[in-house]
Amino acid sequence: MVNLEYFSFIIDYLPIFFEGAIVTINVAVCSLVFAVSLGILGALAKLSKSRILNYIAQIYTTVIRGIPDLVLMLLIYFGGQKLVNLMTTAMDIGYVDINPFIAGFLTIGFIFGAYMAETFRGAFLAVDKGQLEAGFAYGMSKAQVFFKIMFPQMARHALPGLGNNWLVLVKSTALVSIIGLDDMVRKANIAGGSTQKPFAFYFLVAIVFLVLTSISIFILGKLERKYSIGVRKV
Amino acid sequence: MDWSIIIDNLASYRSGFFITLQLVSISLFIGLLMAIPLAVIRTSKNHFVTAPVRAFVYFFRGTPLLVQLYLIYHGLPIALKFILNFYGFDESQNLNEALKDTIALKYMWEFFKEAYFCALVAFTLNTCAYTTEIIRGAIEGTPFGEIEAAVSCGMSKLKMMRRIILPSAFRRALPSYGNEVIFMLHGSAIASIITIEDLTGVARIINSKYASPYEAFIAAGILYLCLTFILVGGFKLLEKKWFAHLRRD
Amino acid sequence: MKSALSVEGLYKSFGNLEVLSGVSLTANRGDVIAILGSSGSGKSTFLRCLNLLETPNKGKIVVCGEEILMKTNKRGENLPQDIKQVERIRTKLSMVFQQFNLWSHMNILENVIEAPVSVLKVPKKEAIEKAKMYLNKVGIYDKLNSYPAHLSGGQQQRAAIARALAMEPEVMLFDEATSALDPELVGEVLQVMKDLVDEGRTMLVVTHEMGFARDVSSEVIFLHQGKIEEQGDPKVVFDNPSSERFKQFLSS
Repeated sequence: MVNLEYFSFIIDYLPIFFEGAIVTINVAVCSLVFAVSLGILGALAKLSKSRILNYIAQIYTTVIRGIPDLVLMLLIYFGGQKLVNLMTTAMDIGYVDINPFIAGFLTIGFIFGAYMAETFRGAFLAVDKGQLEAGFAYGMSKAQVFFKIMFPQMARHALPGLGNNWLVLVKSTALVSIIGLDDMVRKANIAGGSTQKPFAFYFLVAIVFLVLTSISIFILGKLERKYSIGVRKV
Repeated sequence: MDWSIIIDNLASYRSGFFITLQLVSISLFIGLLMAIPLAVIRTSKNHFVTAPVRAFVYFFRGTPLLVQLYLIYHGLPIALKFILNFYGFDESQNLNEALKDTIALKYMWEFFKEAYFCALVAFTLNTCAYTTEIIRGAIEGTPFGEIEAAVSCGMSKLKMMRRIILPSAFRRALPSYGNEVIFMLHGSAIASIITIEDLTGVARIINSKYASPYEAFIAAGILYLCLTFILVGGFKLLEKKWFAHLRRD
Repeated sequence: MKSALSVEGLYKSFGNLEVLSGVSLTANRGDVIAILGSSGSGKSTFLRCLNLLETPNKGKIVVCGEEILMKTNKRGENLPQDIKQVERIRTKLSMVFQQFNLWSHMNILENVIEAPVSVLKVPKKEAIEKAKMYLNKVGIYDKLNSYPAHLSGGQQQRAAIARALAMEPEVMLFDEATSALDPELVGEVLQVMKDLVDEGRTMLVVTHEMGFARDVSSEVIFLHQGKIEEQGDPKVVFDNPSSERFKQFLSS
């Protein structure tokens, strides 16, 4: 059933397909940056003395982690579009489309920010208090202690959890195809439809994802060894 | 928020809720049953024996569930056709026509190409791969002294696995498995993409019918949230009961 | 009299390191043999070879008149011929470990009846009766529903001894049974072991407790670098050691 001819037509689609792969990687990296920023803010809010910030962060992480990615994505995409429509009508501007790339990475970043907040919270707590006290004892300011001592040590503790979140995040980017972003999965969708051979294209997608995760695992392993800290599985 | 949309469609939400529950529980159950022997095989020292299991786990943990679902959705009919051809049915023949006489086969064919079945297969294989890894880790975490004690009592390998290693591994695996169950519940939302009317699917239909994304998806989200809380609470209770042996009081 | 356990020319090495270089020993019924030696002398390895937790490279082990049959595979490794025979022989040699090694997911009663029920096929009811008797004997009858993690080290070790007794073994092997215990808990375990000696049980005891070896054992063996350096009646060897190394060991 499977012979080389079956796969020969894929070659024609390879350039388009790799455009999609680049989009996938872009979405993943942008989401990661957004998620890490939100995660650090969330962790700081959770650890802060302000009750209100505690509550907000707690609700954010609990709700986001309790609802499927896809439902959140659809809510943000369709809900955001509706919001934009309402605003443009009110302001009397023409129809504005939500950019699926921005919607995609904001949504994924927003979701993974909640997971990252837990990771970073644990990492902040893992920093030895004595190290901070030593900083204060030598006359550092609060900001200096945070940026020079707390943050670098926290980052090392966060690395394993961050890596695990990244691996899940990369796979989650496949969902952006559903809200119309031309990533690798959607390209496979389209190519599969026009050639009537969807299986072959999805198989190709699977292989690219395997390569992406394998490279990630390899690099994460190197990083963890470099910062040699006991592997904490999340 | 227009609450009437949710109230008018409560019946749809309920049926979607149960389809989600059904999909998730069936795939978790079968996936767990398959994962136990696979995890045991995976701990073997023989590389030839572990290689297929490792490849399976590597593939299903390294690719998105959505892609797996597409692969099975489009691959299963090809595979079924191949099998049918092998048993002498011609491709040019209309399959429904050809299977007219063999009622059982016909129903099986109808069922196997159903989206529901494809989702079930994809979810089962996916959770099986993750669970295999979880149980493997728990098996390898068995304190070595407990194994030596079993060996020195004259237990055979099989008996030791059944009586000592697996029971204690299951307890250790429980927290990670709880995460996997919730992961699967959330992952099951993508069943809606291949037209299954699960909780998310119902919400999508309602959204497109009324053009009211907030009501449609927030209602679904709350139901998922409730299910998640119930599961988290349930696993906490189980842990309390099963970890009695480790708690110091 | 047929011996309960006899060993002839036992050799064992890990890689290039030879840990046992031809150790022989005979234990008759009722013998209590104390095996002494500094760490690294091979005494624990010797005990673990007897029930094949470690596979010896060479040597003959006979338990109650039955020799453990060995074979050599293609790579020249020494292996048991029949794992079923090994499993059967292991039920006659109960081991008590330094780290207790109770099964942490079972309570004390379950720990004690597990092997009799699942390996020896003793009916469960009978196994429970016996388990209660042995737990009573070691003095922790009241803990039978507790889990190991809830007990002190001394209680855990006594439970482990009850587990070993429940197998009704021909020979009991004690692998530094008191070494992991806090000093104040050593006494309770030693007392249980002394009671077992008084019952006339056959015991091989790897230990650092010189008092126990001197007062209770019927024979003392001193291992050094995998060889027997001193062997004999405790009253004789403790007072008049013939080996220089044993003299040093005693004075240290």
